[in-house]
Amino acid sequence: MQLDFKAKELTIKLVYYGPALSGKTTNLQSIHELVSGESRGRLMTLETKDDRTLFFDLLPLTLQAGRGVQVRIKLFTVPGQVIHNATRRLVLQGADGVAFIADSQRAETKANAAAFVNLRQNLIDNGLDAARMPLVIQFNKRDMPDIRTDAEIDDLARKGKEPVYKAVALRGQGVLETLVGLLEIAWKRIEREHQLSEKLGLKEDVVIDELRGRLGVKAVRR
Amino acid sequence: MTQAVGAELELAEVARLEDIVDRRALTEVCRSFFELFSISLRVFTRDGAMLADAHEEREICRYVNSLGDGRRACSTLVSQVKRTDPEDGPIVHPCFTGAEYRIVPIVYQGKRLGRFVLGPYLPAEMREVPRSLLVIDNRIDPEAARSALSEMPRVRQETVDRIGEHLSRTLDLILFSGHRAFLTSHMHVASVRESFRELAEKNQRLQEAFDRLKELDRLKSNFLATVSHELRTPLTSIIGYSDMLATGIAGELNGEQQEFVETIRNKGDHLLALITSLLDLNKLEQGSMRLHREVLDPAALLLDLKKTMTPAAAKKNVTIDATIEPGLPKLHVDPVRIRQVLFNIAENALKFSPPGGTVKMIARSAESAGGGEDGIGAVLLAVPEKRIEIGIIDSGIGIPKEEQEKIFDAFYQVDGGSTREHGGTGLGLSIVKRIVEAHGGTVRVESEPGRGAAFWVNLPELDESAG
Repeated sequence: MQLDFKAKELTIKLVYYGPALSGKTTNLQSIHELVSGESRGRLMTLETKDDRTLFFDLLPLTLQAGRGVQVRIKLFTVPGQVIHNATRRLVLQGADGVAFIADSQRAETKANAAAFVNLRQNLIDNGLDAARMPLVIQFNKRDMPDIRTDAEIDDLARKGKEPVYKAVALRGQGVLETLVGLLEIAWKRIEREHQLSEKLGLKEDVVIDELRGRLGVKAVRR
Repeated sequence: MTQAVGAELELAEVARLEDIVDRRALTEVCRSFFELFSISLRVFTRDGAMLADAHEEREICRYVNSLGDGRRACSTLVSQVKRTDPEDGPIVHPCFTGAEYRIVPIVYQGKRLGRFVLGPYLPAEMREVPRSLLVIDNRIDPEAARSALSEMPRVRQETVDRIGEHLSRTLDLILFSGHRAFLTSHMHVASVRESFRELAEKNQRLQEAFDRLKELDRLKSNFLATVSHELRTPLTSIIGYSDMLATGIAGELNGEQQEFVETIRNKGDHLLALITSLLDLNKLEQGSMRLHREVLDPAALLLDLKKTMTPAAAKKNVTIDATIEPGLPKLHVDPVRIRQVLFNIAENALKFSPPGGTVKMIARSAESAGGGEDGIGAVLLAVPEKRIEIGIIDSGIGIPKEEQEKIFDAFYQVDGGSTREHGGTGLGLSIVKRIVEAHGGTVRVESEPGRGAAFWVNLPELDESAG
């Protein structure tokens, strides 16, 4: 999080993490399509090879909230392929929240787990407290065959601490809910640590409502 | 822990306009805009420094600047325009000549990075010379002013809006491309640095592990040397006293007693040989074994070996066959150690040869190319060297390919069971290798399972010229 009191600008960094080909870039592409033009910046993809992200994708969103404060949200993806761990660790630095994009296909269960272990390790290596990092989990590719069932995921979600969302990122389903859900919990932590409502008059509900309005999300569906 | 990257990378921020645009390219864009619309254009950084400029001095500006008060007023106005940093979208700054400047903030990813200034231009609807121009200097001639103003481009407000919007979009695209290139190059450097840091950390851990192992190896060697030495002392007594008993010094022994005492002495000798081997190995590993070199005839050495082995071979019904190339040059080696080497190999050959088999012993001259092992620069590095090769070839069980490197490791046995079947400690070949290497030689094995094994000891011949 970066706060510029003079310019009344707040910048929040949210990172989309997950195994290779789980749909991190697709999430950003869908958000880019769904968000209204004035709030979104250009979707930037840094270095690709065979249509695979090598460095990161970046989608900047800009909101106006409370007393003329500008809230800039920067959405990043990491490269999912195992060999790019150094890059993943770099992109993760300074993250205010993480959306873990898991692949719903049964065959990818191990890859999801390995990527999650990798996320925890990289958070630790970056000096971030893995237990306190705002995190949401999205089970993407719900339209694919041989996926983990809703009941299975719901059952596991009840046991876990993190909010879990289901999505078909390619069709834009569930991506905005994931983003709003992540921003909600990321904001709570930023508020706890920096008291933005007191210092800048930024109320959580105003910011989240503004984001919801921009994104066209009425209520958060999980 | 990871080194923190700069804020530019952490949030993919653009700190300054000048970091991500190419000034020359930007100037070209401004010039082409000027050529298209005939309106002056200047691009400023957030701090007010000019990055690009495409303009032409207007007739009215030249006229006003030719008058003292006019020049001062013009200078003040230009400074104001330069300093103006609009917060919420484009603004219009009027000039006393009736012309206007349009100041447009350059916003990228929600952040103001600078501004561009379009103008001066005359609003299309302006008809009269404004009073503000006439009063700026009392020498202003209204007719001259009117004539000069008529040279200035007239633009409708909507057109200026559209030009400004178009230019904003063009600049945004330039900034996006520049930012992308900026981040890509920074990420390249940061990723390489991060990977390097990771490797350096791993290397550090490996180095520490290596140092620990080296220390352990040193401790092991010391331990071995001490224990072997301490074992030898009581063992010498055991052998000595059993020897005395066997020779009947302490009285006549009956048959069974004699046999038992002989067994004690034989096993004692065996144990002593083992301890001596351990000590030898230790000395060789530590490089503390001293070689007492003498000039030695390889033919005599091999014949002597054949003679030594013959009784044992005969007992096992194995034939020993020695082939010696005539006129072989002399060796300069430690005769005790080299005999130990050849005896060890020959003993193995005999041990693994089946009854009715043959052990061949060969002594021949050879030439080594020397120099780079991988052949790189061989033409420069290779200094041909004359050598003598002694081969001992058995007709035994042979050694599988993947084991051939390992048999020279201490305590290694191709098949653990062979120790029990054929005896041996697994120390012999490791000592052989180290002794040969201490002489500047090499030892290699050629074998195929089931077709016997050939051990070749390659030693440098005596260099007569070295004196």
